[in-house]
Amino acid sequence: MGRTIVVTAGKGGVGKTTVTANLGALLTKLGNKVVVVDMDIGLRNLDVVMGLENRVVYNIMDVSDGKCKINQALVRDKTLPGLFLLPASQIHTKKDINIDKIVEIISIIENSFDYILLDSPAGIEKGFESASAPAKEALIVVTPDVSSVRDADRVIGILENRGILAISLIVNRYDINLVNRKKMLNADSVVDILGLDLIGMIPEDKSVIESTNKGELLVNYANGSPANKAFENISRRIEGEDVPFLNFNSQRRGIFSLFRRR
Amino acid sequence: MNLFRITKGTSAIAEERLKLILVQDRSLLPPAKFEQMKEDIVDIMSNYFDFNTADIVINIQRESKKTLLEAIIPVLSVKRKTR
Repeated sequence: MGRTIVVTAGKGGVGKTTVTANLGALLTKLGNKVVVVDMDIGLRNLDVVMGLENRVVYNIMDVSDGKCKINQALVRDKTLPGLFLLPASQIHTKKDINIDKIVEIISIIENSFDYILLDSPAGIEKGFESASAPAKEALIVVTPDVSSVRDADRVIGILENRGILAISLIVNRYDINLVNRKKMLNADSVVDILGLDLIGMIPEDKSVIESTNKGELLVNYANGSPANKAFENISRRIEGEDVPFLNFNSQRRGIFSLFRRR
Repeated sequence: MNLFRITKGTSAIAEERLKLILVQDRSLLPPAKFEQMKEDIVDIMSNYFDFNTADIVINIQRESKKTLLEAIIPVLSVKRKTR
């Protein structure tokens, strides 16, 4: 029985899709069978980030509409056997989504994969709802800025109300130099404010942009890059390994988490 | 340029602002309704006790499954004539 994890944020542009693609890749590298699902119906991008856009034939809406079987819609990754993409439709809108059907499709996929990563669209409307409905766990991606953290707080509240309590935090685009000069929110502060467990920080790293430019996974494009190292650590922690945090800082809940969000 | 100027990092400002914003975001009632409720509580309690309105603290918090309303009213004295 696979683990279904939604990757979400509230705010757009914080790196949900990049995180989904690269975590999917590294979980595959650790020996898992993984499917990454693009839940951004109408604005699909996971295929492009992974460089699989030319291989897309069917998509999750076709499966939902009964136009094809799940296996026909799954796109095999170019380089990593064991990694699959279930693309979003580009011609539908979020209104066309049948959430019950999506939940059913994912529960079938759970039988033959170890991990199902759901790439959520931005926002808290139907797109987000359908991405989180099948999930039992969530990864919240934040960048260290006020708008991202505020939006994340809202999303965490909604997830908790829906009974998703296994929520971990990824701080993306972390610039340790700015943090040391007190010009960027510290990861500890973000953890304290949001009251979640930190599962990893991904440093600001130009190799991330370069790899997406080329439509390559970071593990293939820049295996030794700091960001890839961070993704590797996060996937090991998802697997339950106790990986020490890199030279950044500790993860702990602080006093502010006493004020619970709604 | 003042070499000895002590500046507070903007990250600390961001943190303080976020904490204030989120306390508001997380409270269940919009600010206007909250104030109304506070006045109502003061009205009722003043039938029975003497207290300083300024000392009253009212918090609404959401914990995983339940919502807690906490009102702290330091009482000065009990009113002799209660209605």
